[in-house]
Amino acid sequence: MSIEHHPTDSMLAAFAAGTLDHGQHIAIATHLVSCPQCRTFTRSMEQVGGAVLTSLLPAAMSNDALAKVEARLNKPMRPATMAETAPTVPEAEVPGLPKFLRRYQFGNWKWIAPSVHLQPIVLPYDSDTRVFLLKSGPGTRMLQHTHTGIEMTCVLSGAFSQDGSHYGPGDFDLGDDTVDHLPVVDPGQDCVCLVAMQGDLRLHGLIGRMVQPFVRV
Amino acid sequence: MPSENEANSDTVQWGGLISAIAQHQDRAAFAALFEHFAPRIKAFMQRSGASEANAEELAQETMLAVWRKAALFDPQSTGAAGWIFTIARNLRIDYHRRESRGGMVEASDVEIEFLIDDSPQPDSILATSQSEDRVRSALTKLSDDQMRVVELSFFEEKAHAEIAEILEIPLGTVKSRLRLAMTRLRNLLGELS
Repeated sequence: MSIEHHPTDSMLAAFAAGTLDHGQHIAIATHLVSCPQCRTFTRSMEQVGGAVLTSLLPAAMSNDALAKVEARLNKPMRPATMAETAPTVPEAEVPGLPKFLRRYQFGNWKWIAPSVHLQPIVLPYDSDTRVFLLKSGPGTRMLQHTHTGIEMTCVLSGAFSQDGSHYGPGDFDLGDDTVDHLPVVDPGQDCVCLVAMQGDLRLHGLIGRMVQPFVRV
Repeated sequence: MPSENEANSDTVQWGGLISAIAQHQDRAAFAALFEHFAPRIKAFMQRSGASEANAEELAQETMLAVWRKAALFDPQSTGAAGWIFTIARNLRIDYHRRESRGGMVEASDVEIEFLIDDSPQPDSILATSQSEDRVRSALTKLSDDQMRVVELSFFEEKAHAEIAEILEIPLGTVKSRLRLAMTRLRNLLGELS
């Protein structure tokens, strides 16, 4: 099944520019795993970055800058840290995640509402976005709700329908405070999504807010 | 922006220098790359909010990484400037993280966050030597205003509100202009591929 719902071009550009919040970077990266078309555009935007870099008015370097760097050319690099860490979440368990994310610490699944569970992902860097996996049972219906901040969702497995559109693996959805959501999970299979939710919510507040919107059909 | 022809010769020249470093640790090639790119990377870092001293250090670190990673540069799939941009971008992210966490973050961590595929090779559709030229010629077709918002979007530490202030236009106009510029860019890239 092909991907029908993509991040906006501006979001992909911000990804390539490296200006996204880390949690949102993860949500876009998750979409890119499944979407060659958006990967291509993102890579083109990196070339645009090169063009922007080239077009900038040069800022004079200090006189000994080149000599300082030349003195370090043959020194060995510091070893990588994260790259050496073994994955904590195998591909078979959760398909569709970016490789780097599999090395992060995943919390325990928590019960949120009947047939709805949430697994927080521990981000190694400060972010005002919370990232978690949300697993909803077949036929689960979310009551209409709005967001206080931006919420990015990428489907990993299963599918849901929302406002007459169908969302399957790789599909991306952006919610903000202007959007009313009314997603309904397809019958027959759990739907697992990666969600990046902006906002400085305490865990208690998050759970409280999450419990309310979910009911089982 | 340089004219298209200049840009093309630039591409070949800079890419060739990076390859010379990869093949025989060519220090003269490195010095030439340094002279051209280091001051621009420094400007890029300053525009992103780094102090003069930090921008200087980040430019030096970026050029050091260019030397060390030269063997990974693939002129068939990326332009020299675009490749150096990604190194600078990753170091900028690393710098912001170190600022907020106190020196515990490695740049190599940022790099893998941009590696989406298991294979290090870019997708075949872009794996053409034209990719950078294609992007450059698409950019020349944007209006000056559109190019400015595209440019500013690379410095998003500045919020869109600040862009609005710089360009002296309403915030809504910035957002719609950015959206339009991106749509036009995507169409242009599609036409040229």
